[in-house]
Amino acid sequence: MRDAAKYIAVLRLSARETFRARGEVFARSVFMVILLVVFSRLWAAVGEGAGLAGIGPAQFLWYLALTEWVTLGIPLFYLSIEEDVRRGDVAYRLARPVSYVWSKLAEGLGQVLVRLVVLGIVALAVGRYLAGSWPDPRALLCALPLGVLACVVLLLIQVLIGLSVFWLHDGAPAFWMIQKFQFVFGGLFWPLDIYPGWMQSIAAWTPFSAAVYGVGRNALRYEPEVALRTAMILVLWIGILGALVAWAYRRSLRVVEVGGG
Amino acid sequence: MGGSIEVDGLRKVFQVREQGSGIKDALRYLFRPPTRDVVAVDGISFSIARGERVAFVGPNGAGKSTTIKMLTGILHPTAGEAHVLGLTPWKDRRALAYKLGTVFGQRTQLWYHLPARDTFRLLARIYDQDDAVHERRLGELVEAFALAPLLKKPVRQLSLGERMRCEIVASLLHKPEVLFLDEPTIGLDVTAKATIRDLIRDASVQDGSTVLLTSHDTGDMEHVCDRVIVINHGKLLLDQPVRELRRTYIRQKIVTLLTAEPRIELDLPGVTVRDRAPHRTVFEVDVSATPVERVVKAALELGRLRDLTVEDPPMEEIVKAIYARANP
Repeated sequence: MRDAAKYIAVLRLSARETFRARGEVFARSVFMVILLVVFSRLWAAVGEGAGLAGIGPAQFLWYLALTEWVTLGIPLFYLSIEEDVRRGDVAYRLARPVSYVWSKLAEGLGQVLVRLVVLGIVALAVGRYLAGSWPDPRALLCALPLGVLACVVLLLIQVLIGLSVFWLHDGAPAFWMIQKFQFVFGGLFWPLDIYPGWMQSIAAWTPFSAAVYGVGRNALRYEPEVALRTAMILVLWIGILGALVAWAYRRSLRVVEVGGG
Repeated sequence: MGGSIEVDGLRKVFQVREQGSGIKDALRYLFRPPTRDVVAVDGISFSIARGERVAFVGPNGAGKSTTIKMLTGILHPTAGEAHVLGLTPWKDRRALAYKLGTVFGQRTQLWYHLPARDTFRLLARIYDQDDAVHERRLGELVEAFALAPLLKKPVRQLSLGERMRCEIVASLLHKPEVLFLDEPTIGLDVTAKATIRDLIRDASVQDGSTVLLTSHDTGDMEHVCDRVIVINHGKLLLDQPVRELRRTYIRQKIVTLLTAEPRIELDLPGVTVRDRAPHRTVFEVDVSATPVERVVKAALELGRLRDLTVEDPPMEEIVKAIYARANP
């Protein structure tokens, strides 16, 4: 319980710091606006001719707004851990009565929460302007907790990439590869509904399908039972990835304790 | 006074990977990298009593930081024993963390965009400090370290000296029984260094805390500590009171004079020219033969003085002198 209070304190301070250093959040907001404008126009042009999977331009726009909301809500957090590893700061932070990796995760979550609030407001405003209508408000309400769960999943993946630097010495190649998987199997730009069946099956086995498409699909149709199932899948992934992070952290501690980091 | 830090035959050997040149070596490195043993700390033993202030000095790569890492529980030793406040650091790291304070001169624990006050509040949570206790302790430290005007400034706007004062306060908030300071004055100007040294010493006297300080700066050692342990190549070279070290090895001061005249000469006992360039002369002064004031006075009489610095000899030279004395 005492430890939980420590991590909540880290999360709150991190959120305050992210709010103070708003430059990056502002840049991501601008990028989101550009993406929404470009892709909505693109989809309108393609969709009109082909009528892709029965998804109209307004639905697609809100789908994209939700998937980008989650994707841009995640900072390049692995870089922060990579820097700690390279500078030897992980070792020095072990001299405090708090776990390095879980306080780092709390720090990441603090950053994510501020981004989700700001990007959420931007997505709603731009989405409404470009689409000309609101999606089903019940679907948006479902997307909200799913978005937070999805961000925890994506953040845990980044923590894993960050810890991998202990052995790989550079997190960039792993991040690059996983980011592309996220784009493809998460259906970041195009809903998984238009993928061939075999690709949808592969995507279902990755955390990205639930973390990106699972949030975005609320804009296509309101199905509370599917949203609930998505939430359960995300919780399962949080468990799996959390266990993997704990394991990787224990291994990396051994590197620090024996080799000095 | 009971033992605060007990070290017995502490040894740390690192396995360092070595990569040769050429494709063959690169391939071998990929699958089975060749390693070499590097002895960082070679069986050192010492004991520090509660409330003692000890300088742990030596040149780069001597094994100072490795020893401190082992004493804070960060690093596991290859052999030997160590107890800090009765605990084995690498086995009881978390329990020990509540009793230790650490300041690492080149690392920060302050949140960059927020005022230091916010970090202090977070540290109170991390060290399970009660709100009332935290406020009282912070009040004492803010007064002692004259931090009141800095508390609400974002850390990014603080000077290096101000930041270091905040770093030390952050490490003292939970009233640690042992304080490890690794190069606490690195990069600071002369005034800031003097302030930080006084503050560390005063805080240790007031709290009765043990201090183990590593530094390249002999001034840190002279002004903060009563005892000095010198190590080199992982071995303990010397363990004696600072006043004795000063008498035996720190008799020299380095005096640099920038003058209007291109060249000056000083004919004083114990004063030799160490380096010379036009308008700049570096003298080595044996203060037991001629005090620094006399050197300055003589320089002023000779010509127009543009600038003057007085420094302690570098740590490397002191270690060399200790070596020379031990192995004549």
